[in-house]
Amino acid sequence: MLAKKMLRDITKHKAQFISIFLMAFLGVFVFAGVGGESVGLEVNSNDFYEDTNLADGWIYSNYINDVFLYQVDCLGATTQMERQLVVDSVADFDNDPDITLHFVENNTISKFYLIEGEKLDINDSDGVWLDKSFADAKGLKVGDNISFEFEGYEIEKQIRGLGYSPEYVYHASTSSVIPDFNKIGFAYLSYKAFPTETVPYNVLNVKFDGTPENYDELLDYHMDGYYNSFVPQSEHTSVNQFSEEMDQHRMMGDIFPVVFILISMLILLTTMTRIITHQRTQIGILKASGFKNRSIILHYVSYGFWLVLVGSILGLILGPMTLPKLFYPSMAATYKLPSWNPAWSMNFVYVAALMVIMSLAVSYYSVKNISDEKPADTIRPKVPKVSTTGFLERFAIWRHLSFNVRWNYRDAKRNKFRALMTIIGVIGCSALLVCAFGMYDGMNDLKEWEYGQINHYDSKLVIEENATESQIDDVANEVNGEKLMESAIEIESGDIKKSGSLLVLNETSLVTPTDYDWNRVDIKDDEVSISQKMADLLDVEVGDTVKWHIMGSDKWVSTKIDKIHADPVSQGFVMSADKLEDLDLNYSATSIVTAEHVNQSYDGIKAVNSMKDMTSSWDELTEAMWLLIYILIFFASLLAVVVLYNLGLLSFTEIEREIATLKVLGFKTRALRKLLLTQNLWFTAIGFLLGIPVGYYILAIMWESSGDSFYILPSITLSNFLLTAVITFTLSILVNLMFSRKIKKLDMVESLKAGE
Amino acid sequence: MTTIIEFKNVDKIYKSGDHILKAMDNVNFTIDEGEFVVILGPSGAGKSTLLNLLGGLDSVSSGQIIVNGEHVESFDDNQLTEYRAKNVGFIFQFYNLIPNLTALENVELMKDIVTVNIDGFDVLDSVGLKDHASQFPAQLSGGEQQRVSIARAVAKQPTMLLCDEPTGALDSKTGVLILNLLQDMSNNKGTTVVIVTHNAILAEAADKVIRIKNGQIESIVVNELPKRVTDLEW
Repeated sequence: MLAKKMLRDITKHKAQFISIFLMAFLGVFVFAGVGGESVGLEVNSNDFYEDTNLADGWIYSNYINDVFLYQVDCLGATTQMERQLVVDSVADFDNDPDITLHFVENNTISKFYLIEGEKLDINDSDGVWLDKSFADAKGLKVGDNISFEFEGYEIEKQIRGLGYSPEYVYHASTSSVIPDFNKIGFAYLSYKAFPTETVPYNVLNVKFDGTPENYDELLDYHMDGYYNSFVPQSEHTSVNQFSEEMDQHRMMGDIFPVVFILISMLILLTTMTRIITHQRTQIGILKASGFKNRSIILHYVSYGFWLVLVGSILGLILGPMTLPKLFYPSMAATYKLPSWNPAWSMNFVYVAALMVIMSLAVSYYSVKNISDEKPADTIRPKVPKVSTTGFLERFAIWRHLSFNVRWNYRDAKRNKFRALMTIIGVIGCSALLVCAFGMYDGMNDLKEWEYGQINHYDSKLVIEENATESQIDDVANEVNGEKLMESAIEIESGDIKKSGSLLVLNETSLVTPTDYDWNRVDIKDDEVSISQKMADLLDVEVGDTVKWHIMGSDKWVSTKIDKIHADPVSQGFVMSADKLEDLDLNYSATSIVTAEHVNQSYDGIKAVNSMKDMTSSWDELTEAMWLLIYILIFFASLLAVVVLYNLGLLSFTEIEREIATLKVLGFKTRALRKLLLTQNLWFTAIGFLLGIPVGYYILAIMWESSGDSFYILPSITLSNFLLTAVITFTLSILVNLMFSRKIKKLDMVESLKAGE
Repeated sequence: MTTIIEFKNVDKIYKSGDHILKAMDNVNFTIDEGEFVVILGPSGAGKSTLLNLLGGLDSVSSGQIIVNGEHVESFDDNQLTEYRAKNVGFIFQFYNLIPNLTALENVELMKDIVTVNIDGFDVLDSVGLKDHASQFPAQLSGGEQQRVSIARAVAKQPTMLLCDEPTGALDSKTGVLILNLLQDMSNNKGTTVVIVTHNAILAEAADKVIRIKNGQIESIVVNELPKRVTDLEW
């Protein structure tokens, strides 16, 4: 019979129970959904790395012969090694795509991951195993022939298989952060496919025991001078880029769902408490008619339990099934993994369980409080909390305040808990909105800063590594361009070591280093400027001296910092060619920038990138981010509606009698609506004001976690700030409108009859 | 004496599904200005229906209700709201004060709905509560709360005071005080007072007694010499 009562109660108060269900569902849904996405990335990439036995490190040397192998083996820590020749080639297509060739002696480390075709055969001298993304972009099939040109050789091979490689999850050229699979790719070949008998192996893939640091030290100690450099797995471009991306997702997956789940738990708690308090006299009746305390408690506790349980389980299932699917397509455009599957983590289950347990605990506590009273007391309604005159009433101004203000002030004061919940809900909503719009503005800012303020050339011509000085000068003259050099470097200050980038500029108007406010920073010929973010990371300032070297070279130099500039995407040094040569380092231009639009190819030029290409590939890269922003805005709004409606409904049922009285006395519906709106607006205003700094704080954490190379500070444009305000307040008013119908429909006679 | 309230052939039918309930069956009566009227009847007789119709909380199925020359039965929701605001001073069994407002504020609240030039303090004084002006309803006794409720009703200077079992929740001694206050309003200030009750003793104090039963008027009696409420045998 009690089960019947429960079902009827739930039907009668469906809005409240629906919102309990929704809060439990949404909280777990978002948590498990966003979590499933980021855990999925981790699981998928780890699986891929494990399946393909990704190398623990790479040793680069000019020539890796058997003696070299013997020496590495003698280090003791090496468990597995495999040499290969890695060489840049140009495939025979109109746009001269760059294909990195791997001539492998064996393929047990960093294995080629076959999608279609035959397995990689180490004795096949005529076959090539090609990057599937490149093949797709070019429409190449297994069985087609393809030819490559490198270092004076030209080879033509038949495509035996297509697939992925763990070393190329992320693969972009030096000139652009965004992969363009029409222009770039990789291929694996047998060492027997190499044109000459002896293959000049230059990379040794190694697996080893112990930490990369230890291995690095071992190498350094035993083989100093025999090799050029050692790159541990974590610093490999592809691995590193993907793990930074994962960090970002994890951060998002940590912050937002946690905010969300906290708020939904709060709402759950308030609603449960209220529903039970409303049933007070019924509890009294049940007790008076002889029901045991235990069955009463069980009855009321089961109210929320089933809904929260079903909501949480649904969220647990649907979240990881749906949300990751929204993000993965745009991720898959940039990163190449054989599978994109959402993954599960026990954390999701713990959170769902916590949700259920909390709802149980709260219901239990509320019922227990009531059922501990004597039935004679319970059967009567609880003596209402007495309003008190306080501080504000002492001033003369109180007498001049309208009834509306007085009533709302006292009502809020009497229901502090409800007020607090509403405010927290609005804080959550406006913080999420500020954060979403702040991200939106940050992304736009960054694009304008990088591709509008700092770089204002039209085309960038990437110079081939073996181009001659005269070739470069010819092209530069031809297109009226300026040469510049970009290089990866490593900077060290004290114990801190960071990788960054070096930009060497000659007098040019096409690239302008700026400060954070987009004002030009004038770097003189004999000066070195460090980017703000790098200075922060290394904890250095103007006047300090740091040590650094160009990647791939052992030559460390010391430099005093003369200036600080700011750059949104590349952190490191800016200096002139003269300064570089003063430091006894070689200047070799890596690209030519020009204000002219170049769409032809030149000798010695590897690729031409237009500003348009770069901005559009930037847009592609940031697609996932936009999606997240929209999802955030949507959920923030939903959150606000649920919170405001739910609490509005609760307070409405509490003051229904008062509203009915006022209606009987002759107050118009409009006046009564205004009465309810006033409080809503107050709380919205307070929540909004408090939500802004919270949103800013979350935004700051987000940007900070976006990786060492990004430099964005939290900010939001005035118009988007206003939009945040408009959305928050509009929702508040909209929710209020939902109540105006309730006021109109309110049965005066009925609500007055229900005596105290 | 002028007639200010008139019920003409009033029917009220409630339908719920196939079930039809005639709560008001051809009801006719008049009330004069300043009269102290008691409407009597057992529970279920239609007292509340009559009160709801007169108070503008519900509308008739057929017939006319004329108050101050206006046809209340033809009013829409907005007009009814205005009618309640101007003409009806409600006094409820459970007082229905606004818990968040002090006694004085509950009275002065009326200034928000009608333009009357009153001093809430004076009105409270007239019901003997000037010392409790700044107290909240929950801090007052039942009788005191009912007096605030009377003050609130009177403050509007309405056409009638409509009282639904005004002493139903009070002990008899306090009840007498409240009824005495209402009778004074009628006798001394010329306020029309309509009390709905099942307590037959009050009949002797009324100027006019309307008895209803099964939704119909059973009798209408005019007392030429009504007793003082305080002289009744409770």
